[in-house]
Amino acid sequence: MNCASVDLKAYFLGELDSRERTLVESHAASCQSCHEELDRLRITQTALAALPQEEVPQRIAFVSDKVFEPRWWQSIWRSGPAMAFASSALLAAAILVHAATRPANVVTPAAAVDTAKIERQIQEEVAKRVDAAVTKAVAQVEARQAAQTSEMLAAAEKRFARDREENLAAMQQVARYYSQQINKLMVASNDFAANQPRGAQ
Amino acid sequence: MIFREVEDRDLIAQARRGHVEAYNVLVSRWEKRVFNYLLRLVGHREDALDLSQDVFLKAYQNLKKLEDPARFPAWLFRIAHNEAYSLLRKNKPEGELTVEPKTAEASARLFPVELSLAVESALARLSSDQREAVLLKVYQGFKFEEMAEILACPVSTVKSRLYTALDLLKETLAPLGVGGSRPGAEGVAG
Repeated sequence: MNCASVDLKAYFLGELDSRERTLVESHAASCQSCHEELDRLRITQTALAALPQEEVPQRIAFVSDKVFEPRWWQSIWRSGPAMAFASSALLAAAILVHAATRPANVVTPAAAVDTAKIERQIQEEVAKRVDAAVTKAVAQVEARQAAQTSEMLAAAEKRFARDREENLAAMQQVARYYSQQINKLMVASNDFAANQPRGAQ
Repeated sequence: MIFREVEDRDLIAQARRGHVEAYNVLVSRWEKRVFNYLLRLVGHREDALDLSQDVFLKAYQNLKKLEDPARFPAWLFRIAHNEAYSLLRKNKPEGELTVEPKTAEASARLFPVELSLAVESALARLSSDQREAVLLKVYQGFKFEEMAEILACPVSTVKSRLYTALDLLKETLAPLGVGGSRPGAEGVAG
């Protein structure tokens, strides 16, 4: 065994088996450099050991402390059988509560009478509201139609007045025309009579 | 050690069945080691104590997920490692996750011995990965495989970090020319 094949650090760190340890020790006994190297490693280890282990300044909080104790629901949640049992119990309790609080599904004669009365009241109320709605709608339609009629009458009167004025203007114009024509005839007749000999008259 | 391991396995089995007191015994057994590991990682006593609380609480809540009770120590320190690095990332989201070297005054308050100061200073010069490897091996005595499980990395990476760290520590704490005893003496974890 030569120096290159000797792992002094592994030997020093306790990583070799007994056979390898014997080989290293026999080599170091006859090799001055390996012997000195082991001495230096040993001194290093002694120095490192001078660094004391500190005491824990305060007790590590154990898991029995309250802060580490699981909640009751965490205990149940982490336990399969307990979780199944709890689920079953919860379901059974829900069924019981539902059965106890739910109203009985039995129809009595009184209840039937009440139902018919309520239905009749509802129908009356509905009919009343329908009538009111129809009346209101009719009134709105009538009002709208009255307004439209008024507008149409006003427009017709306006149009009639305008037509009457236009007819009157046209009649006046015709009258002026005939008056002018009559005047012309009168002038022509007078002129003709003035030009006739006296004996011819 | 075997007797202790059997007892731990028994306590874990009882705790899994809901025996809280069994878990309390486990906590009392491991709290000092977990606290000191976290203290060296995060560098603050209050943070280390809070993290220790969280570690044991999470361990209790996830105890049923532990497949092999014999792996409880590595499993527990894996939780501690994750908790510590969560805090370190939160406090220093960007950049290397390193623990600031303590001042001489603070170190003197914690460890008044002069050698302790030298060791603290030497550890502070390591990278966070190297320092954690030393903590797990030298101070907690985990095997390489357990360290790989805790750190979630290959054994080769564990050895690389640890060997480099030992070389750096050796330069500071055991300079060349220092003689010592003959080989065959008990090692750190041997």
